[in-house]
Amino acid sequence: MEAKEYIRSARFREEREADWKRLEALVQEAESKGVTGLSFMQARDLAALYRQATTSLAIAREISLDKALLAYLEALTARAYLSVYAPQERLGGVLTKFLTQGAPQAMRRSWAFILLGFLCMGLGALSGYLLFFDDAAWYHVFMPEGLAGGRGPGSTTEFLRGVIYDDDPDARGLGAFATFLFSHNTRIAIFVFGLGVFLCVPAIALIFYNGLMFGAFVALHVDRGLGWDIAGWLSIHGVTELSAICVACGAGLQLGFAVLFPGQRTRARALKEAGRDATKLALVAALMLVAAALLEGFGRQLVQDMNTRLLIGWGVGALWVAWFMLGGRGRS
Amino acid sequence: MKMWRRAPKPDMSRPGELLPPEGVPIHLGIAGVGVRMGAQIVDLLLTLGAAIALLILLGSLDLTTASTWGAIAAMLFFFTRIPYYVLSEILWNGQTLGKRLMKIKVVSNDGASLTIHALVVRNLMKEAEVFLPGTLLLTLSAGDPIYTLIALAWIFGTLLVPLCNKRRRRLGDLIAGTYVIHLPQPVLLADVATYAAPKTGKPEDFTFLSHHLDHYGAFELQTLEDLLRAQKTGLPYETSKTYSDTLAKVVDNIRRRIDYADKVTPDQHVRFLQAFYNAQRAYLEQRQLFGERRSDKHFDAATDASETDSTA
Repeated sequence: MEAKEYIRSARFREEREADWKRLEALVQEAESKGVTGLSFMQARDLAALYRQATTSLAIAREISLDKALLAYLEALTARAYLSVYAPQERLGGVLTKFLTQGAPQAMRRSWAFILLGFLCMGLGALSGYLLFFDDAAWYHVFMPEGLAGGRGPGSTTEFLRGVIYDDDPDARGLGAFATFLFSHNTRIAIFVFGLGVFLCVPAIALIFYNGLMFGAFVALHVDRGLGWDIAGWLSIHGVTELSAICVACGAGLQLGFAVLFPGQRTRARALKEAGRDATKLALVAALMLVAAALLEGFGRQLVQDMNTRLLIGWGVGALWVAWFMLGGRGRS
Repeated sequence: MKMWRRAPKPDMSRPGELLPPEGVPIHLGIAGVGVRMGAQIVDLLLTLGAAIALLILLGSLDLTTASTWGAIAAMLFFFTRIPYYVLSEILWNGQTLGKRLMKIKVVSNDGASLTIHALVVRNLMKEAEVFLPGTLLLTLSAGDPIYTLIALAWIFGTLLVPLCNKRRRRLGDLIAGTYVIHLPQPVLLADVATYAAPKTGKPEDFTFLSHHLDHYGAFELQTLEDLLRAQKTGLPYETSKTYSDTLAKVVDNIRRRIDYADKVTPDQHVRFLQAFYNAQRAYLEQRQLFGERRSDKHFDAATDASETDSTA
């Protein structure tokens, strides 16, 4: 009819309407089947028609006052944009890439922060150890009552040995695994990571305090001549577990550092950039905690021999180190 | 009427603007806190259901003792919900099942596609924001009022964050550089300009001259578009007397405003408005092509401050 003859925008619409409808159908198909489910021709058309629709939208905003048309093009372009720019990674690929490249590379990049975490905990442990030999009463200052499990300067050597070698049957298998995972040390790992953002200080204080407890606990057993036994008891899962806490602390410190010393960037930007590695470190720490929980839940009860315990614990530790040192090296 | 229409703040009203790599900005509706909470509850129920199913399975296998049930339940819930959120958002391009149900979607701030990193970060932050203080709150006894208060303040604070920014981003969104939008639904309505005029014996031509068309802007034109569209879309009042009353009033107003001398009889109302719409749209679009955008009837108020809109 005559309206089309003189309204430019009506003509504009009529010339392109078929393409828009085609794009709409393609987008619907891509959304239900995924872009990978489209044939080659369809995928090619989707990309081409999307760019065409983008142009149409830009032109329509200039020449058309038809509200319905503008709203339609806006929605259509948005839907097409969302299916064209969808993440194309496959799940298996994402996991493999994280394990073989992302994680070890991130660990190597932030070695200084992780070392700082280990140093803080080591210093705490040393202080706790020395303070215990200075005065055994320090033990009660560091160690919360619930965590000690009845073990203290007052308990007999036989009792301590009994805890190390003959655990009660309740605490084994899946139950122990789960209990451990939500235990004290997991919470510490979460908190040292989270608190790192607040200018590092709470994270360092917390991990130092954790070291104090650890040192005092070891000192108690060394005092009774159970040094190697407690080393075995702790090693089998502790090597992995305490390392996980230090890695989490390193990630937290990295975030805190970004806030404290952003350099030329804004703080928000520095935090976002530090977050890339910190997230990977946190995931590694979580993985290590799960592994430690498995060792605690199953390994410690099955293996009662001191030397085997030491071997397993440090062997697993060496495996972690090997992963971090050797993983993701380019073949250039 | 005049006051609230004349003071639009162009930037404030479009926080959902997204710039794709093609360089043409798209305006998207920001998903509100209520909708997102609804999606969250659906997801929570799903993962909780999966965890309970696993728990019952484990219980039937008789692997554990009663004392560790709580820890195992918490662990199962943890291990179902973390992968669920991350994997479903990766697989469905920023949508969990709850989000699909509510037709909302995560998009990236910078217009590029969502990265795995962003999706992992925003869902891990959810742990710290909601679940960690939540479990703290559940596991604490009543004898520990200080920790309960801290947990409550934590939850309250994280819930407050989305209300304090325009894109309704929670802490995880801020760190990951994402926000949540309503999925737009493309519906192409027919062009009002091509509505067929009712067939009558002789063609009645309303002619409008340029001095007739110099009174209105895009806002009035699009309001008229909605009015004309209502006769086709079958709104409930379409057949009622109100619609024809409205038409009569609108015709009256337009004729007075543009000084249209010829009589328009009631049966010609729709045709008159149709013809006026077409003429006005062609005229305004032409002005726009020449660089003069008229957003509403006050378009010349800036240049001619003495003019009042007493004729409206």
